[in-house]
Amino acid sequence: MNKEPLKIDYEKYQLENGLEVILFQDLSLPTVAINIWYRVGSANEKPGKTGFAHLFEHMMFQGSENVPKEGHFKYIQEAGGNLNGSTSIDRTNYYESVPANYLDLVLWLESDRMGYLLPSLTQEKLTNQKDVVMNERRQRYENQPYGLSWEKIFSNLFTSNHPYHWPTIGWMKDIEQFELDDVRNFFKTYYSPANASLVLGGNFDKANAKNLIEKYFSEIPGFNSAPKVIAPNQKLNETIKINFEDNVQLPRIYFAWHSDRMFGVNDAALDLLSEILSTTKNSRFQKSLIFEKQIAQEISSFQYSAKHSGSFLIYSTPKPNISIDQIKENIFFEINNLIKHGVNEEELLRAKNGLKSAYIYSLQKIDVVIDHLNHYNYFLKEPDSFIYDLQRYENVTPDDVINAASKYLQSSFVELRVLPKK
Amino acid sequence: MIDRSKIPLPRKEFSFSIPEIKILKLHNGLEIYFVKKENLPIVQLSFISFAGSINDPVEKYGTGFLTSLLIDEGAAEYDSLQLNNELEKLGTISSININHDVFSLGILSLKENFERSLQLLSKIIFEPRLEQKDFDREKKKILDKILQLKDEPSYIATTNFEKLIFANTKYSNPEIGNSHSVNNISLDDVKNFYYNFFQFSASVILVGNITESETYELFNKYFSQWKSPNKSWDEELNIITRPKKSIYLINKKESAQTELRIGHLSKNRFADDYYSCKVMNTILGGQFSSRINLNLREKKGFTYGVGSSFHYNLKYGYFGIATAVNIQNTSEAILEILFEIEEIRRNISQDEVDFAKSYLTKQFPSKFETYSQISKNISPLILYSLPIDYYKDYTAKIQSVELKDAILSANENIFPEDIIVLAVGDKNIIVPQISKNFDIEIIELDLDGLKST
Repeated sequence: MNKEPLKIDYEKYQLENGLEVILFQDLSLPTVAINIWYRVGSANEKPGKTGFAHLFEHMMFQGSENVPKEGHFKYIQEAGGNLNGSTSIDRTNYYESVPANYLDLVLWLESDRMGYLLPSLTQEKLTNQKDVVMNERRQRYENQPYGLSWEKIFSNLFTSNHPYHWPTIGWMKDIEQFELDDVRNFFKTYYSPANASLVLGGNFDKANAKNLIEKYFSEIPGFNSAPKVIAPNQKLNETIKINFEDNVQLPRIYFAWHSDRMFGVNDAALDLLSEILSTTKNSRFQKSLIFEKQIAQEISSFQYSAKHSGSFLIYSTPKPNISIDQIKENIFFEINNLIKHGVNEEELLRAKNGLKSAYIYSLQKIDVVIDHLNHYNYFLKEPDSFIYDLQRYENVTPDDVINAASKYLQSSFVELRVLPKK
Repeated sequence: MIDRSKIPLPRKEFSFSIPEIKILKLHNGLEIYFVKKENLPIVQLSFISFAGSINDPVEKYGTGFLTSLLIDEGAAEYDSLQLNNELEKLGTISSININHDVFSLGILSLKENFERSLQLLSKIIFEPRLEQKDFDREKKKILDKILQLKDEPSYIATTNFEKLIFANTKYSNPEIGNSHSVNNISLDDVKNFYYNFFQFSASVILVGNITESETYELFNKYFSQWKSPNKSWDEELNIITRPKKSIYLINKKESAQTELRIGHLSKNRFADDYYSCKVMNTILGGQFSSRINLNLREKKGFTYGVGSSFHYNLKYGYFGIATAVNIQNTSEAILEILFEIEEIRRNISQDEVDFAKSYLTKQFPSKFETYSQISKNISPLILYSLPIDYYKDYTAKIQSVELKDAILSANENIFPEDIIVLAVGDKNIIVPQISKNFDIEIIELDLDGLKST
């Protein structure tokens, strides 16, 4: 396959206050897009204060010293732009894309909240966004079938002193109790230019963009006060089994193992393992449980890797009148079969080709490309790592997949059974 | 320190022209809406036929949906797993979808694998196996999916709201069908539906890194057997009367929120005031900074988000507001929404109209960024028989909407007296709130939209 489209021509430098800047010019577009990562996520929270990184992300859209409460959205939308933000366990990002003649606007908005959020902070805004976030938690998790499963799994897989123990959205009782001082302290601890990286992509003049970035961001003082995240080593000494009753028609079973972290030596092999096990109609789980035996309604597996740790997850919903135990038996049969008899070249190639094409498809959108540059910069210190990343998958051999499966999936695990309420 | 107090002005606007759309016509009459796009080695193709679910036989709703699942379960020399293996090896993503109006089959492929992918798609379209064992498996899958959908509050709300809105027309049933209707479907019904597929007109949308002559060559090779019929759905429009203002409730015990759907039947896509209606709805609930979202989310904190839109299908349209609210605030949220519906008819400001027009016109170029976005923008041209140069004067049409047009369109498209409200959530918490605020009988429905007794 021609890898030419994957080569990204970028320029990276740092302002004196520590802000990292990455420029990726694409003059074929009518738009310019900005993407800022702050190196703070829910892993930086403490027990009792969970969900705060995410609530803080909401507060960043509530205006700043020179931007009124509803201004951030309104100005960008009036310019015909798109915008949003997201919070994960390891980082928080903010992004806008606008017609290229609005570059000044996005830099003004992003710099105003990076430097001058606190003067506009009010109790009214915080109370309002706490309500919004509690409704987000209800809508996305509590009112969804099986919606509380992941937080039950991770709070059992990780010990309570590990930063991946709680969900990114936070526990409801913690969200209820946040105060203005929490917002102030969080801002002063984590929202420093020295703790962020800014990627600008699309149609802009490089010299002009550099001048404008200097103009808007360089006066914001940089500081390094973010405490280091401590992630103690995790090992389950025995399998943990949890039963949970939910308003569902069909039960569902979940398995979770500790695995390798993002870009760890086994990370790519574990991604390919999940492809081979469950992604396509010909994958082992789907072929056996859904197509041939017809005992499962759905089955999925994935390698969920992050900065400090990773986990490998499998879940399946049995067909009506099929027992969860039968599903479990079949899942373990397939895993053991793979470890014992190996992976054939054809299924590995199929999995690799699927991943490779997905890479090319993902380059269609400038927002996605620049978020990827930030992702690689954060984890690898090298924004242009598309080819490196793809090479990780190409290098994986059938033995690597077997070794990863036997190393991680033969240990103790968390087993969650979601059962229909009687 | 720089002066930050003023919002920076935009610089000189960049010129933007939308990608050129051409129609390539094959000898057999098949029309290909063609856009050449070269920045990546990608080809995106959609084959769109007017064989939508409204053609489902009576009492066998879901036949089209089942056909869409079965059509790629084996074709020509390949059984189901072999066929999918051929596509998986290429890294080609195939997608087969049906809605009430159209049946579409699409592939997203790397340029180097496009010919093979197209060949496989042609086998799916012209030589599907449609075998009994595959039919039995896929039918059971749908029946179990219908069972699972009983757990999804937003699905229950939307499908039952549409059932109320579209009353006794063919649009009142969800594409997937219901457990009773799907049980009635046989393999012969699917074969008939598939046969029907060839009775309706179809078109192709092709956006890709490929030349016109390559396109002609490939389609002449793999689609020569297509015989272009020109039948489109011509059934008489059932005259539906709007149900009178009512509040409906579906009980979902212990729900954490209430799913709300509020609205009524509206004009269809062909209405003369389509553009002023679009501007008006942008102000009311069409985007984040709209009146309804700023009120219910940013002021009251009742919800994570709320929006309004005019939903169009080929024959009908409806106006609907959708949200999920904290169950304790159900009644207040309904009151606020009803207030906004009344208010938009009374007053709109020039600033709001300017904002909406700016939003709609300036975002226009960004809607043509990806291969799939371009393809998606072409489908309304086919669905509503719009001219090929439709997008050329799109922004001019939006710009021509004046304040008086927006107010007029609110009065001619939104009717507070006809509003129906559907709430899905815990009855014990919702009913006392509503009874306190509304002097109107609450009609309770079961999960299938039938009146509870």
